[in-house]
Amino acid sequence: MEEKDWESSPLSEKEAVLLCYDDEEYQFGAPVPKLQFRVGSSKARWIAELGMAEVEVKRGKLWTTTGIIRTGKTFCFIEEAVYLSEIGELQLLGDEDDVVISLKDLYREIAEGKCGCCWENYEVYRYLKGLGYILGRHGVPWTTNDVVNTTPSDEDESLCAGEFSQDKDSITKLLSDMQICDARPVFDVYLPNSHFKKSSPGEPSFVACFSGDSPPSKEEIEVLQKRVASPLMFCHIVEGRASFFSFNSIDLLVLP
Amino acid sequence: MLTKLAINESIKVILCVERLISMSPRWKWKGAEAKALAEPVSKTVSELQSSLAQTEASGFLSSCNVLLSVEPEQADLLDRCCFGRTVVSAEKDKRWIKLSFEEAFFLFYKLKCIKISLHGRSLENEVALWRSMRSFKTNFAISYKAYSHLRSKNWIVRSGLQYGVDFVVYRHHPSLVHSEYAVLVQSISGNDRLKVWSDIHCSVRLTGSVAKTLLVLYVNGNVNTENMNMPLCLKDYTVEEQTIRRWSPELSREDETRT
Repeated sequence: MEEKDWESSPLSEKEAVLLCYDDEEYQFGAPVPKLQFRVGSSKARWIAELGMAEVEVKRGKLWTTTGIIRTGKTFCFIEEAVYLSEIGELQLLGDEDDVVISLKDLYREIAEGKCGCCWENYEVYRYLKGLGYILGRHGVPWTTNDVVNTTPSDEDESLCAGEFSQDKDSITKLLSDMQICDARPVFDVYLPNSHFKKSSPGEPSFVACFSGDSPPSKEEIEVLQKRVASPLMFCHIVEGRASFFSFNSIDLLVLP
Repeated sequence: MLTKLAINESIKVILCVERLISMSPRWKWKGAEAKALAEPVSKTVSELQSSLAQTEASGFLSSCNVLLSVEPEQADLLDRCCFGRTVVSAEKDKRWIKLSFEEAFFLFYKLKCIKISLHGRSLENEVALWRSMRSFKTNFAISYKAYSHLRSKNWIVRSGLQYGVDFVVYRHHPSLVHSEYAVLVQSISGNDRLKVWSDIHCSVRLTGSVAKTLLVLYVNGNVNTENMNMPLCLKDYTVEEQTIRRWSPELSREDETRT
């Protein structure tokens, strides 16, 4: 008499197929997006000491979801500038002159991890932007009346984010958390939204975090979750492919 | 539709994920849910407990399990709450059930409804059994704490070996409902599971392909280390629950607008 194995074959169920996150097809079968290389696209000027670009000419609606506003001017971070340059929407001009900065030089900036965005961060930025998501640097308001802060000199990958935080208490807490925190929040991510407003962006859908070589430990997740109100999503990049994982504390239901 | 499960969980829910991974239990046939509601697991476990205690059901310890001798009706009750596996035999008036250490210790120590003999002698207290099981199975203490934590919430707990995890849990009998969670037990001090990214990818993909959510139980057994030789130490152990899910950005957009 055979012992019954109540767990039936899951592969016959539609749900199991839906839940099988096999995005191989996206990698190999996806058509290469048609890039429009506009003449007369937006222009921005790179300001080295800020590690940001000041937008001088805006073209198109993309600026409703890209760049931060300070004293009426728009600035963009390196990942934004590089992404827009890649898709032909932006010409980035040098500090001193009107020579367009080459993609090669921009990629090198990112590869060197200066300006607060390393290559891994950029892969995620580019991937999600390409899908229509809206991304901003975590801890950086989309718009304020302050002048844009000089990029802090100690801004590097080992710091937990929050470079533009004005709150002294939170900075002190940041420093004390730093010891156990290799994991860091990098981008606020919003679902695609044609009505997005920088003046009232609302809460992000999640905050994209990076923990580097190893998955985040339980302690790191707890530390981060205390500081960040939104859900956290940890990104892992391998061979140019980005995967996103959420680690959520739950309280399993007590059944009757 | 959010079920009680989703409401009770104190997680920050990402709407796009929830749309895709239904939080509702997947009942196997029409009427299964009603049947489950009519006969809660806790009630069947109570019946089992009384029945076994009444007949003084007993078993004996081997190096890898406990072999329990029961009457046919009791075998049926054990099956209804998913304790153990039947040993096929020709005997008509007795049934032999193989219990895992966790299952056996739960029935012995928590429900106090079976006797277990060791080296031919029936054990009076739990300390000798505890020590024996700990000597046979590394991490028994942690594994048992996780098992009893889940059972105490009235979930049905079975081995998760075929899914590459420690346990799979069902909210009722597997004939009625699909299992929702695949459970990995992680000792706070051990940190030997899910250490590298490929472990996370592997476990999440495996459990996702069988439509289960990966649930990690972090068991902290470091609180009362002098008493590790006695099951009394269990009361100081704590268990924290964490789900790990993979999110697919392509499937979660609500609006196709591109910048």
